[in-house]
This record gives sequence, structure tokens and C-alpha cells, in this order.
Amino acid sequence: MNAVDTPAIAAGAVGMAPAGTPPLVVEHVAKSYDADGRIVPVIGDLSLTLNEGEIVAIVGPSGCGKTTLLNTLCGLIGADSGRIRWHGREISGQPSGVGYMLQKDLLLPWRTALRNVMLGLEIRGVSLSDAEERSHVVLDKLGLHGFAEHYPTTLSGGMRQRVALARTLVNEPDVLLLDEPFAALDFQTKLLIESDTARLVRESRRSVLLITHDIEEAVSIADRVIVLTKRPTRVKAVYDIALGTERTDMIAARESAGFVDYVRRIWADLDVTRQ
Amino acid sequence: MDASATFTPAKPDAAADEAADRAAARLAAHRRARRRATALVILSQVALLAAFLAFWEYMTVFDKQTAFMFGSPSAIAGFLMTMAKDGSLWRDTYVTGVETLLGFAVGNVIGTLIGLSLWYSRFVSRVIEPFVIALGSIPIIALAPIIIIWFGTGLTSKIAMSTLSVVIVALVTSYKGAVGVDEDQINLMRTLGASKFQIFRKLVVPASLADIFAGLKLTVGFALIGAIVGEFMSSSEGLGHAIFKAGSLYIIPKVFAALVATIALALVLTFIVGKVEKLLMPWRRLS
Ligand SMILES: Nc1ncnc2c1ncn2[C@@H]1O[C@H](COP(=O)(O)OP(=O)(O)OP(=O)(O)O)[C@@H](O)[C@H]1O
Ligand SMILES: [Mg+2]
Repeated sequence: MNAVDTPAIAAGAVGMAPAGTPPLVVEHVAKSYDADGRIVPVIGDLSLTLNEGEIVAIVGPSGCGKTTLLNTLCGLIGADSGRIRWHGREISGQPSGVGYMLQKDLLLPWRTALRNVMLGLEIRGVSLSDAEERSHVVLDKLGLHGFAEHYPTTLSGGMRQRVALARTLVNEPDVLLLDEPFAALDFQTKLLIESDTARLVRESRRSVLLITHDIEEAVSIADRVIVLTKRPTRVKAVYDIALGTERTDMIAARESAGFVDYVRRIWADLDVTRQ
Repeated sequence: MDASATFTPAKPDAAADEAADRAAARLAAHRRARRRATALVILSQVALLAAFLAFWEYMTVFDKQTAFMFGSPSAIAGFLMTMAKDGSLWRDTYVTGVETLLGFAVGNVIGTLIGLSLWYSRFVSRVIEPFVIALGSIPIIALAPIIIIWFGTGLTSKIAMSTLSVVIVALVTSYKGAVGVDEDQINLMRTLGASKFQIFRKLVVPASLADIFAGLKLTVGFALIGAIVGEFMSSSEGLGHAIFKAGSLYIIPKVFAALVATIALALVLTFIVGKVEKLLMPWRRLS
């Protein structure tokens, strides 16, 4: 077995950065696409910091470049300029210890729920029995006990997205990059899975960058909400969210005193009517 | 309704039992309806075939000329019987079956291996694309004389013909499957730290299985055609040989008898491929 697979040692590697170094620092990143020879600037000039144990939500107009930003951060596409530092270091290629989840669950239909969750551990060469055990634990935590042997086609949309979340969490990432992961779910399922995500992430002090179209989701789950402008996108406003409630209960968060006010102000910032 | 049911309130678990019974009954009724629909389809197919054979027989019964030109179901059955008795039916079917199976296997293994591995390099696949298209457009029958010069008149040349009929189709379908894999899925594998080979083995190959099997089903027929065309060119046994010999002697019903055996062979091979597909991709039955 590879040494990197042991969580304690992986955490030790992270610890090599000076204490208090944020897991992710983005400085003046810009990115354009080449669309039929025409240069289309998508990310104008973007800087942000993600601190340890922090949940940051990013909202912005449709097509402003949120997905592009996320793909740039995890090294799937290269930035034109600027610096991206993971734990204080610039990295070429994929950063390790980063979990990535999209609106599409991307489960492999030929694998059972359990084997889907095991995918990342398998790739890193964790022994089969070890991987199985750890995957069972995460599935149980997400309320999927008894569904481990089910194929994705036999699961509901909400359950499938829970399996995808388990597949992300089982690798014990320090940082989760989430691109509208709950957008396709119905309201009740969404609240439940948001709460579970917040609980699991906060109890192990992982950091989350959550892209969403849902302003209420952003305010209820995040410590900070970053509002982006239209393309070429830059940061338009940042809100530190202080709701004064337990931040793992989405219903309590939505009923708290400041909630509506934040939502209204971010709504105004997004300027939906005049786009 | 009986009196006791009216006066004693049903216990909750009794109600639940009743609901479960009703659900089971509905399911059984649904299954019965589906079986009935399938039975009706099969019955119609048999009726259609019977009507066709009856018409054919009727047209040839009183007219020697038509019977000679078109054969007749009864004469075909007669030839099948004698061919079965003297063993040539089994021998010819066996020979053609072996040629077809070997050509099918070799062609699909080579084609699929090349098709899948082309996923590795967009550059190489772009370079060879026009050559693949060019090779794919060659009518295999045009190659038959050369194949016989190269591989002789025995079994090998038939397998070669069969392989050539299969290989390009297998290559194209498996390549299509491999490059059709969702880009997001590949990105996910990359963020999980997968190497290119891991992406290939854990994602691209299984994701291409559906296309590969579509190719397999298609190429059963092609492999059989290749083998029979090879036998037409030069052979001493096999269904193609039987068809060719009977045809050149104007024994039309015997041609049809050998054709019946050919069709049966194709059906059996297709059936086996379908079974293997179900076995290898159990998750597809569930959707
Ligand atoms: N590969 C590409 N080549 C050229 N243009 C692209 C490419 N990918 C995205 N774009 C363009 O870049 C812009 C930003 O796309 P992106 O998907 O990042 O937006 P988004 O904010 O995630 O949108 P949404 O809110 O709809 O998810 C869009 O205008 C899109 O058309
Ligand atoms: Mg997007």
C-alpha cells in the first residue's frame, strides 16, 4: 500500500505548510476561451481565499464562468494568468486532497453503489477490504445503509447524489469543490442532503467551495457568499453570513432573523432583471 | 360481504397484509399480460411463416416449371432430411460454423483492441482515419482471389475472409464507444487521481461495452458472409460449398436447404452473443 493513502500521513503532508496557511488562495486569475478564432474572456480578474473549515458559496449570473473557475482551480484546464495556491504551493496538474462533485452524479452504471464509492480508493491502490470497509462507513453515515449492493439505475435521484457525495467524502479531501451538486433535486431532498453535507463537512473541518444558482442555499449553508459579475467575471461583492444558528440545520438557518435580509441583498446584487 | 367483517374492525397489520396481497396480485396480472403479449407476437410470426410456406407450396404443387425454378417447401424439407441422414448437413454446418466463429473471434479481438487503444492517442487516430475508411470501403469479395493465393484453399483462407469482413466494423464501433465517453466522467476520474491507464481500464473499456456488443451482433452476419464467400471461391466442404455446388447443378431446393441451415447457424450465433451480453452487463437489465 502506498503511504499517501494513510490519512494521518496525508494530513502530515498538508501540515508542512506553515500553520494557518489557507487551503486555497486564488490571486488575479484570468481565463479566456478561443471560440472560432475569437477570444472570449470568461474570467476577468478573480481573487479569493478559502480558509480551513470554511464553506464559501459562489453565486453569479448564468454563463458567467463559474464552472470554468472550478475546472481551473482543480487543474482540469489551465489559467491564462494569475496564481492558484493549494496549501501555499502552486501545483501543475491535479491537486491531491481535493474532492470534486457536479450536478450530474456521474456514477458508473456498471458498478454498485458501494463499488462506485470505492472508486477513488481503488485508484489510489488502497486494499480492497480496507476500501470496502471505509466505503460502507460513509454510505451508512449518509443514510444509505442497505443500498450498498444496488446499481445506480435502481436508486432515486436523491440517493444517487448521496452516493456521489459518499464517493467524494470517502477520500477524505481537505477541500470540496462542488458545482451545483443539489440543483437537480426536489426541495425536501435538497434540504436534507444539504444538512447532511454541512454536518459531515463541519464536523471534520473540511473546506468547501460551493457553486450554486440558489441564493437561499448559499446563504443557509455558507460562512461567506461571493457574488460574481457577468462575463468577464470578477468579484462583485462578498457577504460574511452571520445567522447565529447552528450551521448544520438548513431549516433553522432559513428561519433565522437575518436570512431574508441577506437573500434580498444578494438578489439585488445579482441584478437578475436587468441582465 | 360477510357479517363478521362488517362488525369487527380490521387490525392494522391485517390491512397491511391485504395491501401487500393486492400489490402482488397486480404484479402477477401485469406479468401475465406481458407474457400474453409475447405469446401473441410469436404466434403471429409462426402464422406468417406458415402462410408463406403454404402459398409457396400451393404455387408449386401443380406446376413442374415453377417447382423447378423455385423449389418447394416439401422438396426443401426432403433434401434437409437426406442431408441430415447422410451426415453432410452436420458436416457442412460444422465446417462453416468453425470458420465463422474463428473469423468472428479473430476479427473482433483485433478490431476491438485497435479501436479501443486508438482512444489513447487522438493524433494516431487522426492519422489513420482515412486509411480505415478506405479499407472499410473495399468489397471483401474483391479480395477473395488474393486471399486464396496467400492462404491457400483450406480453412485458413475462409477464416481470413471472415476476419476481414469483421475487423473494420469492430474497430469503428469500439472506437466510437471509446471516444463517446462523457468528458465530465473523465474529469472526475482525473480529480480522483487516476492515471491515463486507470481511466482507460476502469472507465473507457466498460463504458464502451455497449457499443462493442452492438458491433458483435452486427458482425455475426458479416463473419458468416465472409466464410461463405470464401467457400464459394474454392472449397470442398461447408454450407457455401453446398450452395455453390447445388446451384451450379440447378438443384434449387437443395440450395434452399443449405440456406435454411445457414440461417439457423446465424440465429444460434446471434442468440449466444445476446446471452453473453446479458451475462457481462447485468446492470443493463435493470434500467
Ligand atoms: N470549452 C469552451 N470553449 C469555448 N467557450 C466555452 C467553453 N466552455 C465554456 N465556454 C463559455 O464560457 C462561458 C462560461 O461558461 P461556464 O460553464 O463556466 O459558465 P457557468 O457560470 O458555469 O454557467 P452556468 O451558470 O450556466 O453553469 C460561457 O459563455 C460558455 O459559453
Ligand atoms: Mg456551470
